[in-house]
Amino acid sequence: MIENALGKKKALIDKEILILAGLLLLVPLILPYKTLPTEIVIYALGAVSFNILLGYTGLLSFGQAAFFGAGAYLTGILLIHFGWHPALTLALSGIIGALFAAVIGYLSIQQVGIYFVMLTLAFNMLAFFLAYQWKSITGGDDGLLNVPRPDFSILPGIKIPIQGNFQIFLFVWVIFLLSFIIIRRIIHSPFGRILLAIRENPNRARAVGYNVIHYELIAFTISGFFTGLAGGLYALFMKMVPITAIELVTSTDFIIMALLGGTGSLYGPIIGAIVVKIASEILSVLWARWLFILGVIFVAFVLFMRGGIWGLLTVSWGRFTAGRPGGGGKP
Amino acid sequence: MILRTVNLTKHFGGLVAVDHVNLEVQEGTVHSIIGPNGAGKTTFFNMLTGEIPPNHGDVYFQEKKITGLKPHQVAKIRIGRSFQQNSLFKNLPVLENIRLAAHVHHQGRLNFLSDFRSYGPPIDQAHRVLEEMEITNIADKKAGELSHGAQRTLEVAIALAADPLLVLLDEPTSGMSPEEAVRMVRLIRKLAKQRTMIVIEHNMNLVWSISTVITVLHQGQVIATGSPSEIEKNPEVRKAYLGGPPA
Repeated sequence: MIENALGKKKALIDKEILILAGLLLLVPLILPYKTLPTEIVIYALGAVSFNILLGYTGLLSFGQAAFFGAGAYLTGILLIHFGWHPALTLALSGIIGALFAAVIGYLSIQQVGIYFVMLTLAFNMLAFFLAYQWKSITGGDDGLLNVPRPDFSILPGIKIPIQGNFQIFLFVWVIFLLSFIIIRRIIHSPFGRILLAIRENPNRARAVGYNVIHYELIAFTISGFFTGLAGGLYALFMKMVPITAIELVTSTDFIIMALLGGTGSLYGPIIGAIVVKIASEILSVLWARWLFILGVIFVAFVLFMRGGIWGLLTVSWGRFTAGRPGGGGKP
Repeated sequence: MILRTVNLTKHFGGLVAVDHVNLEVQEGTVHSIIGPNGAGKTTFFNMLTGEIPPNHGDVYFQEKKITGLKPHQVAKIRIGRSFQQNSLFKNLPVLENIRLAAHVHHQGRLNFLSDFRSYGPPIDQAHRVLEEMEITNIADKKAGELSHGAQRTLEVAIALAADPLLVLLDEPTSGMSPEEAVRMVRLIRKLAKQRTMIVIEHNMNLVWSISTVITVLHQGQVIATGSPSEIEKNPEVRKAYLGGPPA
């Protein structure tokens, strides 16, 4: 009975991961869009990475687009000007995202609460203006155009085709799953549990002996790595880097996806990414002011359904199976 | 001597909350700090654990100066504390609250790649503390869903989790019902037998029964230090705190 208190050990790859992989694979098969599924999975990676900070460390970062944009521009530039191997440029996108996050995170976590949030926001605006002004490198307002998306081989004889719509989806799907498996393991690691302690009560975490700022900085760096990687994938997928990739709106996209889907779980932000992307695709055709509807939905969730869609699902599932209300959504 | 303060002083604006306090705590003893509300007891604790920096004076732990250390550094040198207001990890189970505190001195704090449940030593240690505090029956309950009395017990359990050399308890029985307080008094008596502790407490029943030494604070100053029987007879203490002339 006591073992139950901490739950069961999770294998690196288990039923949850296989179900997730299967469901995500259904997205391009069900949706009548050619490119949207790939975009959904890329945004899902950004939203999951963001949730390492909000859901699991208790830090509301508005700076995510800086990491995402840095990764996107780096991959774009390396592919355009140097023709580097796509796998290498993606790895470097993760690293530059981590570097940006380490610097912005370090400077922001010196403050707490609203001052922390405003600092992350200010740094994102700073990153945006750098990209906007530095036209020769980033293409400024017009975006970084003509990013190639060449097929490549990882080992002699193993060729990875990514030129087709479904091919790039599969590639992004694989990278997403690998990242998700690692992120899930980090969340359930001794380190990840310390982040949870910080989310719950930073003062007590400090009083029992954890250097809170130190752990927050590592959380930032990890979040930045996977966000930068998502940015790299975005450049490869779009064959360009629009200036919006580094704009505040991308940060808020990740935030809305995570909150709508549910920050209490690793799966919530994925659901959020799917719902927000599909909703904006459908609504934007119907009505020019579709963002208004999305805003109303978002407000309703924040006000009345704090657990997000995932919380709603787990509560209903709990009632359905056990006839028992309550039940969190924290796998 | 395990802990010593020299002229420890804290001002808040014009108010002198703690005024040149010199305290000596011997290893293996239970040292109680009593005094009316506002006497500076909690402020004094907060200076020992680095929650607030003193304006003046020093703290020595095992004869090493620790003034100016941050709270997490104080915990690392094995000083554990509980808070007057419950400070728990509310959405986590009781066992996990204790395990997290126990993990501080173990390897693997920066282990990202194995499941925390495969890390035995902190879990075993948390189980030992659960048993010592007699709360194994609520191990899987969320801390935030416990009764006040159980939360107070967990508050103390977290302070003990990392096997501290010195335990600081800030009013462990505060806010408890009489029945809960009786239980807590019994638990703390049990703990007091094997640990060096500094206890802030208003429950005189507890203070008289566990203390080796009692220090009385009044308006930030030490007005008396001595054994329980000495303190009981001290006329100044009776006037300031215990009420009425000596019996």
